[in-house]
Amino acid sequence: MQTKIIQVAGLIFTIVYAAFIVWIYATEPRTFKEVTTGAEVAAGTYEINQGNFNSALSLFRHEQFRAARDEWQRADPAQRDARTQFYIAYSFYREGWGRVYFDQELFKQGVEAVNRAIDLSSASTLTIDDPDLHIHTAAELKAELEQGLERNWSDVNPLKVLRTRK
Amino acid sequence: MSQTNRSRNRALVDFVVLPFLFLTVALLGGLRVGAESRTFIFITPPLVTLLLATLSMLLFVRGGLLSFHQWVGSDLPPLTNVAHIWMFITIFFASAQAFNSVLPERGLFHWLFSFFFLWTLWNNQFSSFDTRRLLRSLTILFATAFVLKHILLASLYSPEGGWFKRAAGTLLQGLTLGSLDTSTFAAVTGYIAFFTLALYVAGLILLAFAVNGETPVVTHTLVHEYQQLSAAQRLAVREAIINDPKD
Repeated sequence: MQTKIIQVAGLIFTIVYAAFIVWIYATEPRTFKEVTTGAEVAAGTYEINQGNFNSALSLFRHEQFRAARDEWQRADPAQRDARTQFYIAYSFYREGWGRVYFDQELFKQGVEAVNRAIDLSSASTLTIDDPDLHIHTAAELKAELEQGLERNWSDVNPLKVLRTRK
Repeated sequence: MSQTNRSRNRALVDFVVLPFLFLTVALLGGLRVGAESRTFIFITPPLVTLLLATLSMLLFVRGGLLSFHQWVGSDLPPLTNVAHIWMFITIFFASAQAFNSVLPERGLFHWLFSFFFLWTLWNNQFSSFDTRRLLRSLTILFATAFVLKHILLASLYSPEGGWFKRAAGTLLQGLTLGSLDTSTFAAVTGYIAFFTLALYVAGLILLAFAVNGETPVVTHTLVHEYQQLSAAQRLAVREAIINDPKD
């Protein structure tokens, strides 16, 4: 009987261990910190660092977009929070926006971040209630970023210098 | 009581310790640490390592290290069969990852080492082996590959090496028209590989002991079957054993 218990326990334990190994190779964490973050995500206990998030928001409001993004990345290392990803995308938009031209590289990264935000949002439309922002939904932000990436005749319109950043 | 303890310990080794050891080898075999970033790099086993693992499994069967007919059969309980098949799977992946840990990641050396392994394992398929000789041969094989990759090659391409080492590495690279391109990792990678191979060989030795532990079971079965025979049949068996020309 005890042999049977050892067999069952051994099988369960080693199968769980094998699943952990497969998960490690699939996610390829680079540090022990990433392993623990990944485990938190898998267990559903992952939460962003609110302190880092708030300090990033303050930097964002002072137009320090790169520093803000760094802080947001520290706040959400696993890139699993829709709100943080929305703000990261917004910071790419604001930094890449120019009266004469848009920085294509930053806008591309903005699209990637906003897509992550859309994928992560459980609600049908991700809405951020922040009075300092002019765009409140992820869909609107995505459209704005994608529009910035498109090339058309309106790019040579001299009146475009009068447009405003959102 | 000692028989109960023996069977419990045996079950613990077969169904917990050995799969755990081999899975740890599977985990660590593809682990490297970046030379500059000092971060983990997980390298999935290349296709050639699966081929090498298959050849090794065939060798284990030939060498008597794995005895499928004793460990998996219709007369055994289904759970025991599942547990044994699971152990064979863990041995297969541990073997693949053990080869992965001593194979250079890319370049000409990757193919040279692969060829060296394939050639050795293929030749061994046609040699006569017992468990002890097989274990000795595998230990030497892995030790040689470990020394070549993690000591000689790592030292030649190490960014922390002296000017002579770097010059030798550059010269070798130049002579082979850059085909010796190889990855450099932190020194800790060598320690991880050493630990992985030590675990793998230890697992195989433990497996060999487990296999040898089967012998009394076989003997008991024979004795039991002998006891079921009639007196005349027992006499015939005894005479046949006594008159065995091999003795």
